[in-house]
Amino acid sequence: MQTTVFEQVNETVYHEKLENGLQVYLVPKQGFSKTYAVFTTRYGSIDSHFRTKSGEEINVPDGIAHFLEHKMFEKKDRDVMHEFSKNGASCNAFTSFNRTAYLFSCTDKLDDNLNLLLDYVQEPYFTDASVEKEKGIIGQEITMYDDNPDWKVYMNLLKAMYQKYPINIEIAGTIETISHITKEYLYQCYETFYHPANMLLLVVGSFEPEAMMKLIRENQAAKEFPPAPQITRVFPEEPAAPAQAKVEAFLTVGLPKCMIGIKERENGLTKEALLKRELTTKLILDLAFGTSSAVYERLYDSGLITESFDFDYSSEQDYAYTIIGGDTPDPERLVETIKAEIEQLKQAGIDQDDFERAKRKKIGNFLRSLNSVEFIANQFTSFKFNGNDLFSVVPTLESITREDAYERLKEHFVPEQIAVSIVRSASPQE
Amino acid sequence: MEKGEWDMSGQTTEIAFQSSQVNGMNVHILPTAKFKTTTIVTMIEQALSEENVTITALLAMVMKRATARFPETKRLRAHLDFLYGAIFDVDVMKKGERQVLQIYMEVPNEKYLSKDATLLEATIQFVGDMLTRPLVENGAFLEKYVTQEKETLRKRMESLIDDKMKYANQRVTEEMCKGEPFSLLVQGSVEDLPNITGEELYTYFQELTASNPINMFVVGDVEPQNVSEIIRAQVPIERTNVKALQITNTPKQVSKEREVIDRLDVNQAKLNIGCRTQITYKDDDYPALLMYNGVLGGFPHSKLFVNVREKESLAYYAVSRLESHKGILMMMSGIDVNKYQRAVEIIKEQLDLMGKGSISEEELGLTRATLSNQFRELTDSARGMIDFTYNGVISGRKRQLTELLQAINDVTIDEIKQVADKVKIDTIYLLRDKKGEAQ
Repeated sequence: MQTTVFEQVNETVYHEKLENGLQVYLVPKQGFSKTYAVFTTRYGSIDSHFRTKSGEEINVPDGIAHFLEHKMFEKKDRDVMHEFSKNGASCNAFTSFNRTAYLFSCTDKLDDNLNLLLDYVQEPYFTDASVEKEKGIIGQEITMYDDNPDWKVYMNLLKAMYQKYPINIEIAGTIETISHITKEYLYQCYETFYHPANMLLLVVGSFEPEAMMKLIRENQAAKEFPPAPQITRVFPEEPAAPAQAKVEAFLTVGLPKCMIGIKERENGLTKEALLKRELTTKLILDLAFGTSSAVYERLYDSGLITESFDFDYSSEQDYAYTIIGGDTPDPERLVETIKAEIEQLKQAGIDQDDFERAKRKKIGNFLRSLNSVEFIANQFTSFKFNGNDLFSVVPTLESITREDAYERLKEHFVPEQIAVSIVRSASPQE
Repeated sequence: MEKGEWDMSGQTTEIAFQSSQVNGMNVHILPTAKFKTTTIVTMIEQALSEENVTITALLAMVMKRATARFPETKRLRAHLDFLYGAIFDVDVMKKGERQVLQIYMEVPNEKYLSKDATLLEATIQFVGDMLTRPLVENGAFLEKYVTQEKETLRKRMESLIDDKMKYANQRVTEEMCKGEPFSLLVQGSVEDLPNITGEELYTYFQELTASNPINMFVVGDVEPQNVSEIIRAQVPIERTNVKALQITNTPKQVSKEREVIDRLDVNQAKLNIGCRTQITYKDDDYPALLMYNGVLGGFPHSKLFVNVREKESLAYYAVSRLESHKGILMMMSGIDVNKYQRAVEIIKEQLDLMGKGSISEEELGLTRATLSNQFRELTDSARGMIDFTYNGVISGRKRQLTELLQAINDVTIDEIKQVADKVKIDTIYLLRDKKGEAQ
């Protein structure tokens, strides 16, 4: 077991790669009552085109990773949620574009819960009847998202930005695509993506690390796994330019919703370079559009934005994008104003005091987020999948200079990469 | 790492705030080393009323904009960034028939920052600015900010419709509690906005800060004596005629079940069923109500989830939630509109089962375990501990965490059955699409 101490944030990480390939990380938190464990596979909604064990290249129905996540809870002779409830734990799972995570939190019977987590995720049990039953439940989940204007404006923006890359597809699929899901497909996906060598287990909270690692080691040693399959995912070549300049949709809303996306042109960065690019971009966004910026003040005072105005940069090895927006009475004018402000900013450059203040803010916010074991667990896994350490955020932030930020501003914030998504009411409200 | 350093026994510790009076405010301080930040929450309590609901909500928004020291919002925000991105918000929330204006602040603990030894003091000074040194001109809040925030508040009210779950919840509450203050939207109403002036708002601010109950909570790696002294110096609030609020929560007996149907352009119908429980936080049978709600719809093992979602696959979510100070239990689910009658039927069956005490030992055990876990997890969140303690303060019944856990553990099926006798459906509300026939 390797130990890494991050003195600045007063956290210690214990790590071991098990014989079956599973990566295990432990982050004990002194004084906390609860423990949170997440068992994650690098498999999400975008992984729908791949080679199976036998080398055959297949396309599976959209939404299958999420469907599989739902079906992992079903077992022949027991009810997983009941088992967790018996131990007082609350369990959950989620699927994103590129991963599926199974998790629980508890304040008691940690050993039982941890064995339960590892066991249920490693014992698939799918039947025709239960697959059919789930289509009704997930159908309602899809319908719920269809009515959600915030989700709609976001998904439509991804569709506007990406021509071919499958983050332009709904994570849960559609009622039509999930109708084609069968238990055979589920097993195929499971066998390809749920090998321990493709997974990461993270435990954060109240426990003694040596004993915890021993328990995990023993649980895994008692199971047999085939050799780790070579995973070959097939992705279409994504052109640099956005698919569409603008996408519009209609749902009942109080005010129109407008999101402006800036699609990253170059991908393929890894590790520190990827992290530094992400943090630099976020710093610029805060400098340019944060609540203490001149732009924010102008937009708010003119009534063009509301308190819902927000921005973020999402960064993965194969895709990355900025999103800026919120509710606005006049989407077209908001888009034009933001574009003009960006050009203005490139002319004016970045003020040194503003830059230092933005850095302080980011460091403070990061420290704050370390209070939450949920944040640590979920972020830590994302960082690891991209080859980074969550607890290295502060030194990386500190290393960013104003010149780095200015270069990045000119590189990323370019008009050709912009796409826009708008959701508004079809007719005046009754 | 020495084994002896680990205290991972999982024992529940009490949520032990040290309470005292400082400058006429109730100050509650909880020193703990487990967080990397210090959280400071100030709660000003007001009776929820048609007369004051909008002005209180507007005050929260205007307070956020400026203080005498930082007359421009941009500068105020820059100061917060300088305090290592201090989290700051002023907002209103509904707690039963109360409207609570809260000032929320959170800053990194100085121990994690090499340079700054005065961050805590600067933060409390900022709270003091909010409470005692607002930006005032000729006895009024600045017209510019008042006008802008009226607009922001109006937009916030109108955006309620964006989230259909929240919208349905507000609509059923309005219908069910017609004539009771609890029916009011916590942001107030659009009609009230034009009449409020900057002068009135400032007068109202002075009354509120002088006379209404104020509770200030501080959680973090702090020294209580030191914190009290800083508050004494930095928040020199003048408290006169401090009053206890007259909150009336007259129990309303349900005479007849009502059905309300709204139509909007939606794909999924939202079914909300509101029940009166006649039990609130302060009552002896409150722990039994918690267990009742847990068995019925609080968890994935609960009757609603198992029967509405898993057995009939009618919904993705089917849950019940309590409003503990008002004594309302709300059942919520998202369904296909064609399954409306079937869903109501199954939900009523579950209520009947509760009434008959048809609850297995297993259901009882699972609910006890998960509910206790929920309460124990509170101790890992500053916000969770503050809310738990504040519930005790405003209800007038202060329960210790261990006491509540023990009470949950002791609840019997028979006691849950007695709760069931009091729970009555008041209103069945459906938010549905515009297609199809009216029923």
